[in-house]
Amino acid sequence: MIKIKVPKLKMLDSVKLHVDALLTGAKEAIRPGTITIEYPRERRKLPDNFRGYILFSPERCKSCWQCSFVCPANAIKMELASNNRYYPSIDYAKCIFCHFCVDTCPVTALRPTKIHDVVYKDLEEMYTPTEGMVNPPKIIREEKYTVEYVVEGRDLILKRTREMDNLIPEIEPHAEVKEYSTCFDPESCLACGLCVNSCPVEAISITTVGQERRLKIDREKCYGCGICVNVCPMHILKLVKRPEEGG
Amino acid sequence: MGTQTETLEWRVKIPEKKIEGKAWLNLKKRVIDTGLCTHCSACALVCPVGGIISSPNQEIDFPEWEENCIDCGACIRACHRWEYTPLYDLGDYIDLTAGKSKRFKGQDGAMVTEFMASALEMGLIDRALFVGRDDEWRPVIYHIRSVDQLKNTRVTGTKYSYASVLPELKKAVEVTKKGVGVIGTPCIVTGVRKLQSEFKVFRDKINLVVGLFCMENFYYYQLRAYLEQKGVDLKKLVKMDITKGKFIATMTDSKVSFPVKEMDEIVPHGCESCTDFANVLADVSVGSVGSKAGYSTVVVRAEVGKKVLDYIKDKGYADFSKVNPEIIEKLTKLKKKRIKNIPEEYLSVAFKEDRKKNRENKENKENKENKENTE
Repeated sequence: MIKIKVPKLKMLDSVKLHVDALLTGAKEAIRPGTITIEYPRERRKLPDNFRGYILFSPERCKSCWQCSFVCPANAIKMELASNNRYYPSIDYAKCIFCHFCVDTCPVTALRPTKIHDVVYKDLEEMYTPTEGMVNPPKIIREEKYTVEYVVEGRDLILKRTREMDNLIPEIEPHAEVKEYSTCFDPESCLACGLCVNSCPVEAISITTVGQERRLKIDREKCYGCGICVNVCPMHILKLVKRPEEGG
Repeated sequence: MGTQTETLEWRVKIPEKKIEGKAWLNLKKRVIDTGLCTHCSACALVCPVGGIISSPNQEIDFPEWEENCIDCGACIRACHRWEYTPLYDLGDYIDLTAGKSKRFKGQDGAMVTEFMASALEMGLIDRALFVGRDDEWRPVIYHIRSVDQLKNTRVTGTKYSYASVLPELKKAVEVTKKGVGVIGTPCIVTGVRKLQSEFKVFRDKINLVVGLFCMENFYYYQLRAYLEQKGVDLKKLVKMDITKGKFIATMTDSKVSFPVKEMDEIVPHGCESCTDFANVLADVSVGSVGSKAGYSTVVVRAEVGKKVLDYIKDKGYADFSKVNPEIIEKLTKLKKKRIKNIPEEYLSVAFKEDRKKNRENKENKENKENKENTE
């Protein structure tokens, strides 16, 4: 353990620092708005990777469940949508804003925003279904300035600009890992067809010909969500990387 | 195609149904309702929807089969009584000896425990399934992962009750890295072998199968009721044993014994049609019959078993003695008689062909002998 010692100041330095503090106080008294940000009339400029309200793009999501698996607060629940796919929903009463879900999403379907001031009436309302995650929540804002702290020399100065800081930073989607499902141990297959029923895009098919069941995974249809891998009672399916196109 | 054996297309053979209806109905009508079921629970292990229930107190059942059974036929594939190939006699073996473990306390010579412990030490397996018990001798399944766990006398020793070993076996197979060891009565061992013949995972991951000599096994609740009626307090019970036709229950303060014959009324149907006494399909068969008191008879049938036995001999973990195979053969013959309890239509095609060949050979021999005699 490292202990940090308070530096011993000389009498003169000590007096100087005290005077500095008094002067700063006096400055704020004469001309207000040099230290304090007047929320909510002013908006503080936040870094682009600020961990706030989470937005969701269903068109990117491949229902891999990684966000719900990684969530340490168990706030993400996968909900079955009308198109037979599973999409995340967040309970903000549980969310601890660690953004592990955002970081873990392989297809950038979850994006961070700088919105940190949403008001709810009760705990139930804090549960945000998938639909609620697609667009930013409605907040009445009355800010006129964007404020930023800038360090100049030994002073911390508040800078105000008329230009509004964008609450939803633009995130470049990262390269997608393309995978598809395969069977690595067909000799242990029960031919139960649970994988067939679980597939959201009907990429797996089963046909019975006489005393034989034929299973087939359509590599083109499969988008590598991995639900079948999870469902298989014998655990004989796995995702493999799709070879580079044209390579 | 991937680099390994990853496939996108594969075929699976499914069993032929005997009656119309879902697979479970077929299994129930043909095997369970006819009393052929041995309660090995292989069907409960494979059932992909987990609907088949195996409890130590009742017959195998699938209560909500009408809704939940997906008619995949895996339970039929796993069942070794669907097409019944009766096994009998002492079977093939490499080595026949009697042993007494120096490290463990068990039913007789604790050789089952010794084999599993040595296999764990050798790194042949990383977990073994043991049937232990609770305060009232209810069977409980333990995943044994270190030799020290076997010092517990609740884990070792015979329980004479059905236990759902096979459903636990699936969990063990899923997590194992080196392999799993299983112990079982002939029905469980036959069930394991059937699973291994049908599904590759079990072939790859079950490395040691130790079989027990077995005349019959009981449903826990029936055994309990029977013993209580005989004045046995299960909480005080220390050991149950069957020797020389007598069931002996040893308690902390007293002993109760009675002829096993009296227990015939609670022998489950599955045992009535079982002909395998010496556990023909196991890697190693162990039992008390054929060796002197305090020793277990060990029948080594497979190379794996031989390897473990050599290891035990090298380390000096056990004392060895002689076996009297005649007594074992007498009991195998006694159990073989139960073959008459199996209805003809349940015997497998392979068995019938084998039997036909044997009979023809016998007739040929007799004919030859007759000819020679007449000449």
